[in-house]
Amino acid sequence: MKKHLTRRGDGALIEMTSEEIMIALEAGTEDAADRGKIAPLSKDDLECLLDIFMDTNRVVSVAHGEEVVVTHDIGTLRLMGDQGNSGVGIPLSRLQGIQVHERAFCSDTMELGHIDYSFKPVKPVIAMEQQEMESALLSTIIPLFYGAMPNLGTYYSPDGPFGNPSDLLPAGKVKEAYEAQESAVEHATRDMVYVGQKLAQVGCDGINFDTTGAAGDADFKATLHAVEKLKKTTDLTVQVGMAGEFVLGMHGGLEYGGRRLAGLYCHDQVKLAEKAGADIFGPAVNTKPSKDMPWNLARAVTFVKACVEVSNIPVHVNMGMGVGGIPVFETPPIDAVSRASKAMVQIAKVDGL
Amino acid sequence: MEKAEYMEKAAQHIVDADEEAVEKLAREYLIEGFDPIEMIEKGLSEGIRKLGVLFDRGEIFLPHLIIASEAMTTAVKILEQAMPADQVGKKLAKVVIGTIEGDVHDIGKGIVATMLRVYGFEVFDLGRDVPIATFVEKAKEIGADVVGSSALMTTTMVGQKALEKALKDAGLRDNLITMLGGAATTEHWAAKIGANFWAESAGDTVMKLKEIFS
Repeated sequence: MKKHLTRRGDGALIEMTSEEIMIALEAGTEDAADRGKIAPLSKDDLECLLDIFMDTNRVVSVAHGEEVVVTHDIGTLRLMGDQGNSGVGIPLSRLQGIQVHERAFCSDTMELGHIDYSFKPVKPVIAMEQQEMESALLSTIIPLFYGAMPNLGTYYSPDGPFGNPSDLLPAGKVKEAYEAQESAVEHATRDMVYVGQKLAQVGCDGINFDTTGAAGDADFKATLHAVEKLKKTTDLTVQVGMAGEFVLGMHGGLEYGGRRLAGLYCHDQVKLAEKAGADIFGPAVNTKPSKDMPWNLARAVTFVKACVEVSNIPVHVNMGMGVGGIPVFETPPIDAVSRASKAMVQIAKVDGL
Repeated sequence: MEKAEYMEKAAQHIVDADEEAVEKLAREYLIEGFDPIEMIEKGLSEGIRKLGVLFDRGEIFLPHLIIASEAMTTAVKILEQAMPADQVGKKLAKVVIGTIEGDVHDIGKGIVATMLRVYGFEVFDLGRDVPIATFVEKAKEIGADVVGSSALMTTTMVGQKALEKALKDAGLRDNLITMLGGAATTEHWAAKIGANFWAESAGDTVMKLKEIFS
């Protein structure tokens, strides 16, 4: 029986027969369908995925005319940060990094980001960020976003003024944990709106809320409120990128527009982002390192396809280390990245990566 | 009420996180003269198992889990009054857990600690950004059966390797199990640094430790 090279979720190279791949694809799509209460991939979709995995080329791509927008988050840290920061450690300025993305990588959009990459620490240095944004806008032509994480963790002790739900909940202080999160929502919303409005003043094209929901449902709620306010007070394009396929219930009772936020999967998340006024939505589906890549990719495509089907705004799926069916590996292998990207475009019908 | 019905109701009250109802049920159960250990093992534990599945699927959330674990504790305390002294307060194992030095991400680690408590482990949660020496000191002090560390960043996961060495140097490594987790880690990493096992999620941690200690 012929074996095909593929990957485990942790990046290890493995061999699977076409029958084994199909079994993994079916199990992956069923897992997503069961958890998200959505439709599994059709037989045609699964066969298309199987073809992608059986392609003997190391790198695969889409046909002419099927290309999609390719954009970037994490600012220029991908180049400037060291390997532990998902970068390659090249000593460049942020302006040079943006120009490299525009002129060498042919990015469709790019973003400026602070080294801490969270909204709260940007607040005290906002004048510097405005200046850097203005310089970048004057020397580039691609749309420029400002990117940062809502990161409600920075509002809890030891970094912020409120008690940490991770300490309060195990101590049985449920009411205090609720209050801390509700207070953090107010403060984070205010800070994100402040940063967004200041950047809009210098002509910034858009703002990217990256890894939304990483600190749970309060994180998502603060972001949705900030999106709503920024859309009313600025002409910024707003992108909401998520942290995972479902919103973690650290609070459990928080709502937006009458919907409980905890436990929402991609296809429900996008509707709330839309309601808040977001222009682009970035679903994220986390990879399970213990499962193989066919299982992970079928699962990710199932969640994202359901999201695209209900969305009225462009969907730019998160693709990279540990998301979108790509293995959890510091420098994701190109065979895996190109296969996952092709599947997202051809089967999930995303608008961008 | 039949014994089986008591078991079913106990499990459901735990799933509902209804402390008052489970407390009342435990008292009635003892008056009937049934075996208290059986209610813990077949009723309350079944409820906890169901909660674990619901939590993993994102159908119940962390605060619910905490309130349910308090309901479980209350019911167990009542049942313990009718149990032999050597069975009272029995825990499956002592677990020291923390987020490794340099890393402040502790939401996932907190969930693991909570789930382990719910499932009957005695957990010593050292918090976040925990120095290697603190893990070793605590493990020595309490005679830990398990030392677990979490790392969310590739820059901090190297601390897990240092922890393995520190436990060896302190002469503790052969007498305990090391487990690791966190978004940056994999099974391969655990095997490479000599940890006993890697866990993908809170549910996975509980399942693997229960296999060892039940």
